[in-house]
Amino acid sequence: MIEWLESALHLTVQMGTVYLLASLGEIYAERSGILNLGLEGMMIMGAALSFIFTLAYGHLAAIIASIAAGVLMSLILAVMAIRMRLNQVVTGLALTMLGLGLSGFLASPEIRRGILLTLNPNIPEKLLGIQQAPTLPEYPIPILSEIPLVGEAFFHHNPLVYASYAAAPLMWYILFKTRLGLSLRSVGEDPAAADSLGVNVFLVRYLATMISGGFAGLAGAYLFLGFQPFWNEGMTAGKGFIALSLVILSTWNPLRAILGAYLFGGIETLQFRLQLMGWKAQSPYFLAMLPYLVAIITLTLISLENVRKRIGVPASLGVPYSREE
Amino acid sequence: MRSARISRRRFLGVAKEAAIGGVVAAGLAGAVAGYLGGASSVAPETKTVTETVTRKAEAKPLKVGYVYVGPVGDYGWSYGHDRGRKWADERFGLPIESFYLEKVPEAEVGGAIETLIGKGADLIITTSFGYMDQTAEYAEKYPDKYFVHISGYRSGAAGNAPQNMSAAFAEFYQLYYLNGLAAGAVTESGVVGYVAAFPIPEVVRHINAFVLGANYAYKKRTGKNIKAHVEWIFNWVAPDKARSAAIALIEEKNCDVLAFTEDTPSVLQVAEEYQKKEKKVWSFSHYSDMREYGPKAHLTGQIANWGPIYLDFYRMVSTKSWISVDIWGRIGDYIPYRWRKPVEESTAGQPEGVVYLAPLNQAIPEEWRAEIKRRYEEMKELLFEPFSVEGNLGEPIRDQSGEVRISGSERADHQMLWSMDWLVEYVEEPLPKVKEPLRQAFPLPFLYFPRLGRCSGLGATR
Repeated sequence: MIEWLESALHLTVQMGTVYLLASLGEIYAERSGILNLGLEGMMIMGAALSFIFTLAYGHLAAIIASIAAGVLMSLILAVMAIRMRLNQVVTGLALTMLGLGLSGFLASPEIRRGILLTLNPNIPEKLLGIQQAPTLPEYPIPILSEIPLVGEAFFHHNPLVYASYAAAPLMWYILFKTRLGLSLRSVGEDPAAADSLGVNVFLVRYLATMISGGFAGLAGAYLFLGFQPFWNEGMTAGKGFIALSLVILSTWNPLRAILGAYLFGGIETLQFRLQLMGWKAQSPYFLAMLPYLVAIITLTLISLENVRKRIGVPASLGVPYSREE
Repeated sequence: MRSARISRRRFLGVAKEAAIGGVVAAGLAGAVAGYLGGASSVAPETKTVTETVTRKAEAKPLKVGYVYVGPVGDYGWSYGHDRGRKWADERFGLPIESFYLEKVPEAEVGGAIETLIGKGADLIITTSFGYMDQTAEYAEKYPDKYFVHISGYRSGAAGNAPQNMSAAFAEFYQLYYLNGLAAGAVTESGVVGYVAAFPIPEVVRHINAFVLGANYAYKKRTGKNIKAHVEWIFNWVAPDKARSAAIALIEEKNCDVLAFTEDTPSVLQVAEEYQKKEKKVWSFSHYSDMREYGPKAHLTGQIANWGPIYLDFYRMVSTKSWISVDIWGRIGDYIPYRWRKPVEESTAGQPEGVVYLAPLNQAIPEEWRAEIKRRYEEMKELLFEPFSVEGNLGEPIRDQSGEVRISGSERADHQMLWSMDWLVEYVEEPLPKVKEPLRQAFPLPFLYFPRLGRCSGLGATR
């Protein structure tokens, strides 16, 4: 039983980290009033670039490239949503499609070959055709990983998982306990008031959007390097949208996002465990549907005015700000 | 199958005659021209005629259009067809121009076929089960073009499509049986797993063949029956699901050999990760040689080369000797020397024909490697059939309810293989009896949006 739980929890954390990283950044963007629906596209660009850059230069370069790709894509969103005040839903979805298409193009066999040879002319021939990359090494944390149950589940992972452990409380602290966090939240609630108090609304929104892009790219890199080291087109398979619903489920709170992420990770793990425990095989449909069901319910709830007030939806979420001087 | 083979041979005969006829005709024409011209020498005139013929051929190369359901970079199904296309193009001696459309949704295959015909294609090859009916429709609409549909059952040969349409498939069940032998030979826990795409006959017969093989070897070794577990992922391409399913099979049921029907090497990658952690877990290649994704964990596997099938059709069209056929490429088909060889000279593990075995890992005990080779050689001549009492250690083959399905001297025929909807008794999980319940309950959305079936993973066909 202990072993069963250990391995199930281990996989839960492994899967959940994808959602956690993606939703942490998104929380910042939405707290500042920008709905980043391009999450999925930024994640898959991160995954594609981490694949290509790991083969060319190794893991560190891959992670940096993925974050950079996410930030660049989010800059497009930022310019369109903040500067040009376009509809954020449409812009975000367009970016998702852009990411899905562009990543498939960049990583398609012949284009990838060309990119790899440009990046690193000395690359071994063997790596040019392969569709996998080495995974991030796991570093069990010395004493902690010896603890029964918890040790194997939480402290026997790769560095990006540990980074997500650190990032969640840190981002909670910044958001709720610092002046910077206060400015960010006020921009998302009432940008006009924040502006009149001297907060640079545009700068804060730009930064928050870029943070969400960076985290989405990182989530994509983690998905590829830490969980599923085989590239296939569209490999994020809707994980970006699950992360989006997770943001709502966590009511824009980085600490609650941890629970939500592991809940969704656990559902995915359980799908296949339950099948072997005698659940009828059709049931994967039911379980696989759960994250989306949660998303629909939460989205419905926040569209109700008094629920919105109670759970604290950023009041200006999705509303472009203009100074009207 | 039998009739398909005969017609193929008949075709080759025809092709040869046509070629000879062509040469004779050219010679005659040259001679006649020389005679009419009254020239002193016949030879240069003959040369002129030959040149004209060649130039004509160069001016109009054979054009072949392919329709793929996935991206060519998927490493599985569509990637396999694209390798087959290149293989056939390279070996076809006459000018050839082939092109493809990838990621074509099943509902849009008609438009794709029109596009390819617009580009001048003489031969259209559609490579997904869902393309079948529309391919037959267009075959009727364009009687002067030729059509090949992969993995379906409609062809002129079968009598349910126009004569300019053929059906072809590369069938793996014999190779899955050999994989099973390898699995039964190396398993220590006596439990094997299978990560399966959809509960359709194609996948079901592969599971059964694999489990029968595993039981054969394991029972011969230990006297005990094998135990087999199946995980359904309801997807053809889902590396993340395949990975979770594989881990669950290993952790939950202690499976130490995993076969799979999913178009990526994910399951093999998982096995390799366990090997690195000093736990012996094995897996296989699927469609392509996947050894580099699991150098330690790779036992053997099933590989397809669609090239010989395509080349055959190129020849038929270019020599105008088309005959509609329904081909299942199995072990031995399209190989130059179709006789069984002694075990020492066996070609098992080498590329040949349409379907062949991936290289055998040395971790399989010597005697079982020999047994696998022996069966492989026997199957070249169809002397051995996995779905027979002989394939189950002399025992009748029973399904999960205990009903005898194959006994005495019976062998599975095309009908049984094509419609297999039962699992052998050694499999622990029941076969999901869902035949697209959503589609049945709510047919309207599927009628208006045929793509829905693919997006949601409910359409269980390639």
